[in-house]
Amino acid sequence: MTVPSGPASAEVPAVRCRSLGVSFGTVQALHDISLDLAAGRIHALVGQNGAGKTTLAKVLGGLQAPDNGTVCIAGNQIPPGDVRAAKSAGLAMVHQHFSLPPSFTVAEALELTAARPESHSVYRRTELYRRWQNEVAEVGGTNVLATRIRDLPVETRQSLEIVRALVSEARILLLDEPTALLTPAATDTLFERLRGLRDDGVTILIVLHKLREVAAVADTVSVLRDGKLVLGPSEISGVSQGQLSDAIVGPAPDTDRAIAVEAATDVEQQLLLELVRVSSRESAFEPGLASIDLTVEAREIVGIAGVEGNGQRSLVSVIAGLSAVTEGSVLLGGEEVTRAPPARRRLRGLRLVPFDRNSEGISRSAPLWLNQSALRLIGRRRQFPLISLRQYKRQASEAMDLWRVRYNTVAQPAESLSGGNVQRLVLSRELASGLEVLVAAQPTRGLDFSATNFVRSSLRGLRDAGAGVLLVSSDLDELFELSDRLLVMYGGSIVARFNAPYDRQAVGDAMTGALR
Amino acid sequence: MTGGLQRVASTVLLVVVSFMLTALILWVSGYRVGTVLSGIIQGSITATGAATSTIRWTIPLLLIGLGVVIGFRAGFFNIGGQGQFYVGACSALVVSLGWREGPVPLVIMCGMIAAILAGMAWSLLPGYLRVQFGTDEVLTTLMMSFIGALVLQYLTAGPLRNPSGTGQTAASERIPEAFRITDSSGVSVTALLLVGGVAVLVWLLLERTRFGLTMTLVGRNPTMARWQGIDVRRVGLGTFALSGALSGLAGAVELHGPGARLVTGFSPEVGFTAVVVALVGMLSVWGTVVAAVFFGGLQSAILFLPIVTDLPPPALVLLHGMVAFLVTIKFRAVRRRRAGLAAKPVAG
Repeated sequence: MTVPSGPASAEVPAVRCRSLGVSFGTVQALHDISLDLAAGRIHALVGQNGAGKTTLAKVLGGLQAPDNGTVCIAGNQIPPGDVRAAKSAGLAMVHQHFSLPPSFTVAEALELTAARPESHSVYRRTELYRRWQNEVAEVGGTNVLATRIRDLPVETRQSLEIVRALVSEARILLLDEPTALLTPAATDTLFERLRGLRDDGVTILIVLHKLREVAAVADTVSVLRDGKLVLGPSEISGVSQGQLSDAIVGPAPDTDRAIAVEAATDVEQQLLLELVRVSSRESAFEPGLASIDLTVEAREIVGIAGVEGNGQRSLVSVIAGLSAVTEGSVLLGGEEVTRAPPARRRLRGLRLVPFDRNSEGISRSAPLWLNQSALRLIGRRRQFPLISLRQYKRQASEAMDLWRVRYNTVAQPAESLSGGNVQRLVLSRELASGLEVLVAAQPTRGLDFSATNFVRSSLRGLRDAGAGVLLVSSDLDELFELSDRLLVMYGGSIVARFNAPYDRQAVGDAMTGALR
Repeated sequence: MTGGLQRVASTVLLVVVSFMLTALILWVSGYRVGTVLSGIIQGSITATGAATSTIRWTIPLLLIGLGVVIGFRAGFFNIGGQGQFYVGACSALVVSLGWREGPVPLVIMCGMIAAILAGMAWSLLPGYLRVQFGTDEVLTTLMMSFIGALVLQYLTAGPLRNPSGTGQTAASERIPEAFRITDSSGVSVTALLLVGGVAVLVWLLLERTRFGLTMTLVGRNPTMARWQGIDVRRVGLGTFALSGALSGLAGAVELHGPGARLVTGFSPEVGFTAVVVALVGMLSVWGTVVAAVFFGGLQSAILFLPIVTDLPPPALVLLHGMVAFLVTIKFRAVRRRRAGLAAKPVAG
């Protein structure tokens, strides 16, 4: 590998980075990344959530300054975190979420983001349309020009984001999970377009989640895991899907000797949570549920594995009663609760550890005691209206002491607690009397080693005490360690069911949709 | 509670700064600041009847201000107190005029209930739009306020106009003297007990009931409240209803008290000043009581000042505006800081 000294030639990689490192607080998001991406090809970047894909894309695009290391775009070194320099070197980003102003018409939006806008600040509509008709011809015909962005279907908006990148005269396109919101057919169209662009000499770096898509579009593939580049860039023909899947999921740590938990056979199995052919509408970021069948019985932990964004949020919010079921039914302890409000499900013994503890699990500015007492506020309409705050505070402090939350006074706001303590606070509220079935979503995300162990042993203890647990996690080791049964979600459906001991490779394949 | 003391101190400081800025403007405009200041003190405390007048204006400011506090507790900004106050007064008037022969306590009570219901209705419409469609309640409550003012104008100039009236502005007939709970000074033991009782009830509701705690959770983080099984929409509607009820009640107290009849555009500032009262009162019940007395005094002084200086009355409204301006900035800044804390970089 030679360091380019002269002007850009065919051998100069489109993107070159050396020893990139980025950390957020104590989390090392990128660790010593060195990478060359050849010009005129489609490069795929894959990895689990939190592996650093988006961070790497942001660093390359100049949106995030690296702590150390260098980035060269087409032979020009980019000052750290300089978006303009990256742009003028010919790189454009297509973000995970759409960035065109929704209230603009297509022509207006393109004019706004063009590299060389017309010099007049006053324009005529017909002129704008003439100016942009060629660019949008392949997106959906020229009649799309007068449509407002927000009225366009998702796939057209996605294509427009690419058009936007191209009208800024980009020669290198960075696409961050462009297929997340697309239907399979729209994905095919997108890939067709990308191949066309490549044949015109554009270099493409595309962040993908599904191995099937990688195989469909990429020339080379690179894998990130825990912020490190563990594979590639390698020619796609030289890597099997199995190898990729292994690289993404990582080697099994020593503790992963598939801890098969012996199911207690002496208790009567009791159905606590049941979903019968449940479907729901898709949300902005996730597919809806497609005819899900699921049961959680007493004394078992059922794990839900899957790459994030495959319907796990939809699943949890359908069980919680926060989003509507379009078909099928949900039963709690044998009682039909498909249309029941969240409060009724809570009173029926459902407890929840939500995905994002800071926004969904606690109220950051409210005092600890109020956060801890939240479940005491519902379903007591027939009781005397006045309450004793002293009693509420005492009960809260007892519960928090039991769960070893570290705090100074019950009146301090919840935002003053550390992540691990916030989760203890949430557990102290949810894992209290009345619990029959717990839905725990990413219960250990972002927690340090000891807090993680604490949460895991709590879940195990809960199961042993007779409760049912549905554990949604993107940490395979956690799922293997805790689950009595494991289901894999993919595109809003449950595509595979496993029993302990688990085959890491088989689970990884089901998660990524890999074909061997 | 040093944090609490600090907040009180900063609010007091804001009021003092507003006074100084207003004084500066008056001084630059060539008025004698000393005379104006002493006029304010006379007009609110020392002059004959000034203290009574201060309390007379405290009453509606406090009732409407408490409504604003209730709304804020659950995260809603009901600034339509003026319109809810007007429709409340109109409803009470209709009850009194329509049932002249009725037993006195019953008529007064029915008048107040009618006013409460009208205020609720005026507030529930924007409330429903808010919880159902997410329509910004600042805009809708304000617009409803203008509609309320026009309803009052229509009634006093049309169906309820006193045909024998001689004044230049349209006004209704007076209600029978027996139906009044105060004389024209606007202060009586009954009125004070009523308002004091309402303040205690509001405090109990907000600080000592499950519904009050639920409102707090909804106001701080509706997402978390939803995950906890709280019906956020129901809490929102209840909050709007209570908030409007207090403004409606203020209208009834005005009619059965100092007003006795409706005049087009009476007490034109009170609903909007009440929002400032609640903000200066730091959205707490007892803070609002103190702020209401303060602004009651100012209102009284505004009416008194033309007697001792050549200052035009709008000049003192400047002070109101100044306080409102600074308090809003402070309030926004605190919110901004909170929002900033909530946003954290996400890795991956």
